[in-house]
Amino acid sequence: MKNPFARYILQKISWYILAFFVAVSLNFILPRLIPGNPVSVIVNQMATGGVQSDVLERLYSTYMKEFGLDKPLYIQYFNYLRNIFRWNLGTSFMLYPGKVKDLIGRALPWTISLQVPAILSGWIIGNLLGAFSAYKGGKFDSVAFTLSLVFSNIPYYCLAIVFLYLLAVRFGLFPVGGGYSFGMVPTLSLRFIMNALYHYILPYLSMVLVAIGGQAIGMREMSLYELTSDYVNYAKNLGIRDERIIRYVFRNAMLPQITGLAISFGTMMGGALVTESVFSYPGVGSLLFTAIRQNDYPLIQGCTLIITVAVLTANFLVEIAYGFIDPRIRAVQLGER
Amino acid sequence: MGNLLTAIDLRAYYKTVQGEEIKAVDEVSLEVREGEVLGIAGESGCGKSTLASVLAFTVIPPLYVVSGEVRANGTNILTLDKETLRREIKGKYISIVPQGAMNSLNPTSRIKNFVIDVLKEHFPEMSKEEALQRARERFEALSLPPRILDAYPHQLSGGMKQRTVTVISTLLNPKVLIADEPTSALDVSSQKIVIKLLVELLRKQIIKSVVFITHELPLLRHFANRIAVMYAGKIVEVGPMESIIFEPLHPYSKLLISSVLVPESGMKSKRIEAIPGVPPNLKDPPTGCRFHPRCPSYIEGICNTSVPPFITVKSDHIVSCFLYGGEHG
Amino acid sequence: MKDILILLFRSKRFIVGFVLFLGILSFALIGPILNPKNPFQMVGGLFSPPSDRFILGTDNLGRDVFTQLMYGTRTSLLIGCTAGLIATTIGVTIGSIAGYKGGIIEEVLMGITNVFITIPSIVILILLSIAIKARSAVVMGLVIGITAWPWTARAVRAQTSSLKTREHIDIARITGFSSLEMIIYEILPYMFSYIFMAFILQFSGGILNEATLSMLGLGPFQTVSLGVMLHWSLLWEAVRTGAWWAFIPPVICLSMTTFSLMSMNTGMDEVFNPRLRRS
Repeated sequence: MKNPFARYILQKISWYILAFFVAVSLNFILPRLIPGNPVSVIVNQMATGGVQSDVLERLYSTYMKEFGLDKPLYIQYFNYLRNIFRWNLGTSFMLYPGKVKDLIGRALPWTISLQVPAILSGWIIGNLLGAFSAYKGGKFDSVAFTLSLVFSNIPYYCLAIVFLYLLAVRFGLFPVGGGYSFGMVPTLSLRFIMNALYHYILPYLSMVLVAIGGQAIGMREMSLYELTSDYVNYAKNLGIRDERIIRYVFRNAMLPQITGLAISFGTMMGGALVTESVFSYPGVGSLLFTAIRQNDYPLIQGCTLIITVAVLTANFLVEIAYGFIDPRIRAVQLGER
Repeated sequence: MGNLLTAIDLRAYYKTVQGEEIKAVDEVSLEVREGEVLGIAGESGCGKSTLASVLAFTVIPPLYVVSGEVRANGTNILTLDKETLRREIKGKYISIVPQGAMNSLNPTSRIKNFVIDVLKEHFPEMSKEEALQRARERFEALSLPPRILDAYPHQLSGGMKQRTVTVISTLLNPKVLIADEPTSALDVSSQKIVIKLLVELLRKQIIKSVVFITHELPLLRHFANRIAVMYAGKIVEVGPMESIIFEPLHPYSKLLISSVLVPESGMKSKRIEAIPGVPPNLKDPPTGCRFHPRCPSYIEGICNTSVPPFITVKSDHIVSCFLYGGEHG
Repeated sequence: MKDILILLFRSKRFIVGFVLFLGILSFALIGPILNPKNPFQMVGGLFSPPSDRFILGTDNLGRDVFTQLMYGTRTSLLIGCTAGLIATTIGVTIGSIAGYKGGIIEEVLMGITNVFITIPSIVILILLSIAIKARSAVVMGLVIGITAWPWTARAVRAQTSSLKTREHIDIARITGFSSLEMIIYEILPYMFSYIFMAFILQFSGGILNEATLSMLGLGPFQTVSLGVMLHWSLLWEAVRTGAWWAFIPPVICLSMTTFSLMSMNTGMDEVFNPRLRRS
């Protein structure tokens, strides 16, 4: 190909498509390892719950058709793929005949608006703190480093539980959960937005503090490494002032941290999902929590699929951005000389 | 011609985590004269690079200057505060071509950005375009392609990177350029080009003198005016290049010179000898003359008890050895 | 080896982590022996606050929280340790083979590794846990372990590649060792501290993953773990009803365990990577 940068992007795209297919296949195959026919398991469960038999019959035929369980596995797989690309994620068990895509569609904006700002701001603040801590040294470094170590090792949901109990239940400073007050209807009115922000603070805080700690530790280490490098000494020897050298160091230590940002989206996901359910925040995490409790397989599968797509997309965007920013990476990828 | 830099009784020690001192530079006195190339030679670990960093004020812990002076224009620069040093001396009066120029340039920034930073740091009123123009002219004058300025460091070959660093180090027309093993990582032809560049810088009066630190004596043969030989943290002999290479006085210098192959007239017949023994541990250097445990002319009761003083044996040629005591001097 | 231990115990962070971890470990191992009660037995009223009889009160079903905490910590440590061992074993095996062999083998192994790094592990964990109906603590550790190895594999590969170029490796290769012997006798011993640090990281990650899964309702069956205790607290609204004794103790235990492990890891990092040390 003529344009090397286009080649880089194309290479990345094909890589992510591969990862996507592996994930989707796992999403297809793993739930099918459940012993027995999941549809009859569920329908039997409902039967003991006293649901009328004609309703059960209809349920049974709906799901048998949806899963295509009477067909060979490879046909099931192709049906599954076709349905995904048509954005048809099936019907929920627990909220029959609610469509999975609608349930997820309602939850996703909440999750995105909670997690993306929390991860991004935690990343930025954490990096500034880490770099400053490495540069400053002494007391400041040792206090900041220890605090970061403590916070980064508290799982998100533990901090969430403590915050919820102390700040909301005990002292009544914040609402005890949910995305907005009970009885309100989501609109774009100022009153609703203020109310939603009020509910936003605690979940956001419990995620961002942990993220700051984790990023600060990584950035501090990178900066310490850069600060002792040859180019820093050389710049000092030519009489370049410290402020400018710190800018070089910050920039270079920052680059690996961009990969760290991509990783964050994946590794923070589990904790973030649980954080949502701690606060009963109306996002994908709470949805998944309920779906697991109800054995709602189509909904669980829908949630895991959307989580995978979200994380892969975020990683992909970060990697493309990285290729733009770091000439070393570009040079390696492009064979530039 | 005066001295651009005078070191008096310098001591610089490394302090280890265990609290021990490594006496890498001990009681060193040396002057750098205007217009000369001063070579400092010695085995690796003899303290020559440490001496370079003290002379260039690039001392970073765990290295500490314990005592002594470095005088320039009559002032002891070691006592200057950090800011004055940065503004007045570094890059402007004394500059350094560091050991391992491979990693001396910021890997993520185009070379021109760094060059602009260097110039603007010392001439704040200069615009970016002016700074770039000046750098371009300098590169051209020294026959380096100015397009280097648009490159990233990793796009340059080792030799080219070394030359680029040398040119950047001399952008501010420093009086003294300290080159710390600038050629040790290069192949022979690149070595020659770098040395040519240093000679060119002197000829064009961009710099006034060069301190060239190397473990390869033959390199000095080509362009040094004077040579100082260092052993175990101390200077043992200083003299004119010809005199040191062809008539070395100190037993260590003799062994050092015969241990390297110098394919020049008069040297061919000489046998190549290795120096027996190993350089001493500088945590606890030998008493008296530090070379005495390895010295073929060692005299019991003299060499191991007191430090030999410097004696002028020939014109401008001094040595620190008891062989040249009363009967010679 | 002795020198390493002396160096380690000069690191304040390592000592803090080590002592804390020993404390937690003895609480989880010795506690149930001294106090052999059934954590599932209903012994008191619902959510009764701490008292002389129940020093940490009871939970939503009238079960003793202190007993649960001992058994729960033990289960969490067991799961974390199992996961750590499995992830480290798989990661070291794949990483060292890829790094030592190079070429197409390296490309394939690292390709697989990178795919599994890119896919969020929580997704695979959820799907696997749903598929496995009989989840004992050990099975859960196994599941977590087989999703967590890619990071270790990547790190070990990098280490192996750089070790491979050392002189003693060449000498050993000339003497006709097989690849497997080379890896076992000439590569791995030089990475011992590194592998141990990777294990500690995986151990701590395993405990966290257990808690995450359990809180989502995919915890081990018929055992109590720290995550299971938190799951119950969520399910039965312990937080909103103010029954702090039901969830604060497991939160503290969980955080202290991961903190102690990370503190040990950081301490070791400072000892083994002098560049991070400050004079």
